[in-house]
Amino acid sequence: MAKVELRRVTKTFTGGVTAVDGLDLTIEEGEFFALLGPSGCGKTTLLRMIAGLESPTTGTIWIDGTDVTHISPGNRDVAMVFQDYALYPHMTVADNISYPLKVRKVAKEERHQKAAEVGASLQLQELLDRRPGQLSGGQQQRVAVARAVAYEPRLFLFDEPLSNLDARLRLEARTFLKRLQKELGVTALYVTHDQSEALALADRIAVMKDGRIMQLDTPAAIYNRPTSLFVASFIGSVPMNLLSATVDGDLGVGSWRLPVPAEVRGVVSDGQEVVVGIRPEHARLVDGAGDARVTGAVSVVELLGNEYLVTVEDGGRQFQAVSDAAPDIGDRRQATFAADRALLYRASDGALIAAESPAAERRPSTA
Amino acid sequence: MDGTHSRPVPTAPWPLRRIVSRTGFYVLVTLLGAFFAVPMLWLLFAPFDVQPTLAAEVPHWTLDNFRRVLENPFALASLRNSVFLAVQTMVLIVAAAALCSYALSRVRFPGRDMLLYVLLLFSAVVSGTAAMVPLFQLVNKMRLIDTYMGVVLVLSGGLLPAAIFILKDFMDTLPSSYEESAIVFGASPVQVLRDVVVPVVRPGLAVIAVWALVNVWGDFLMPFILLRSPDLQPGSVVMFNFYTEGGQANLKLISAFSFLYSIPVVAMYLFVNLRYGFRFYGGIKA
Repeated sequence: MAKVELRRVTKTFTGGVTAVDGLDLTIEEGEFFALLGPSGCGKTTLLRMIAGLESPTTGTIWIDGTDVTHISPGNRDVAMVFQDYALYPHMTVADNISYPLKVRKVAKEERHQKAAEVGASLQLQELLDRRPGQLSGGQQQRVAVARAVAYEPRLFLFDEPLSNLDARLRLEARTFLKRLQKELGVTALYVTHDQSEALALADRIAVMKDGRIMQLDTPAAIYNRPTSLFVASFIGSVPMNLLSATVDGDLGVGSWRLPVPAEVRGVVSDGQEVVVGIRPEHARLVDGAGDARVTGAVSVVELLGNEYLVTVEDGGRQFQAVSDAAPDIGDRRQATFAADRALLYRASDGALIAAESPAAERRPSTA
Repeated sequence: MDGTHSRPVPTAPWPLRRIVSRTGFYVLVTLLGAFFAVPMLWLLFAPFDVQPTLAAEVPHWTLDNFRRVLENPFALASLRNSVFLAVQTMVLIVAAAALCSYALSRVRFPGRDMLLYVLLLFSAVVSGTAAMVPLFQLVNKMRLIDTYMGVVLVLSGGLLPAAIFILKDFMDTLPSSYEESAIVFGASPVQVLRDVVVPVVRPGLAVIAVWALVNVWGDFLMPFILLRSPDLQPGSVVMFNFYTEGGQANLKLISAFSFLYSIPVVAMYLFVNLRYGFRFYGGIKA
């Protein structure tokens, strides 16, 4: 149960690549915190610096009020779960789980007792005498987590621990990880490039790009109100509709006329170039032209499970919306959405246009 | 023309050209095989022959040749010396190559690969005939002539670069996350090496160990040059001294001794084959 603070942390690798750039971050006690971003954004480097496997070029790292910047990994009391699990192929599952205790020179009997105890709590009791090579991917993943649990750390570090699992197992493991973390109450820092994983697991998410944090908020806030075009396009299983528009009383997107969201009506001015963002989940196909906002020919229909994702096209512009029934390809259909669901971004730097505080002060350029 | 062979052919009968080339190929392979098999046959038959010659022929059976070997004052002692020398060198090579290849695999520095290739290149020279005179002088200056230490050091020096080269490939296949996870759990470098690295690369260590043993076992030149006392000399050198009173090569002694001398190597091959199945690991860059 640890609080982690990073102050002005920068990591520049030999060769001049800056992986993490002057980053400030506080992770609260008991929090499940996700670092989310595309590959190369510096999230894994950040995790490795907290583990002590890399040292920051400048800046300090604090765990529970202690400066650990120059403390060796083994003395930080953190456990790490690796993407490839890093299970030792020559040891049994029990020996793998209890290896952290062996390092601490705990007696063999006590070690095996602890391994059996932790193993049982993670449904591994039948597998304790096997070798990692004889386990399925999901089982290996649980053994790796069990080893971290057996260490009884004050901080869990997860480096994309689910990315080697197939889609279905990944969902199960996700639920399992979240429950485990809540039960143990141990602070967890979770690195992933999978936005759905971060949304599902985390109490808070930091979306990273080029070594900086683009947005730090709760999953719901990041999903509903991404503060930059980068985050808007990165978050969401189905990509957000992002339409270039010109303000002229309404929003003109080719032949489509979209309303300016009420909250920013006073902020934008005629002639301004903006990007309108609407999640497909918030837009629906409708019958009749009554409150239609977007009209186009149906070009693609995809089944999402309980509804359909429909792409309509008009003059080269595409718009995706959901529908309960599958429309015919080529039909001209209308889609609508609640006006307050639309988000406006400045075309120049991709920053969210917000009601009160001027957007320019809030976000760095994403260009 | 398909009547010339009786093998069932699923599709069309073989054209003549193919039959001729196949026949030629098998004849060539058989000749080559025979060429390599004859010395082996000699080694199997000559030791048991009453009057061994340089020809491989069915023997007039006797065990008398082995009795002569046992009576020879140097023969058995030299085999013991060979074991002693080979094991010492092997231990030194495995220990040094393990540490060295681990460091070379994990620490990046400019010119690392160049260093390895240069070492490998020179190692062919170091324990070879080309460096015989300077090596002798070096060992002489170090007052290590007629000691096992001298022979072990020279042989190890010659074999180490290749051993490091082979072992580094094994080390490279070891994911760094294995060590990092141990380090995060607080393991010291020695613990990481002992608990994680060595067990995982054990097949590589076995390859190096066997390879070093066989190399030293069969080496003639270095012990011949660097050892003086007859009672220190290994089997490979002692065999060189088996003459009859008339100055002829004593084939009875040589054949029987050769037979005994080859047993450990063959036994080791069988053991390794059984234990590790002689899969060929590492050493070859893709």
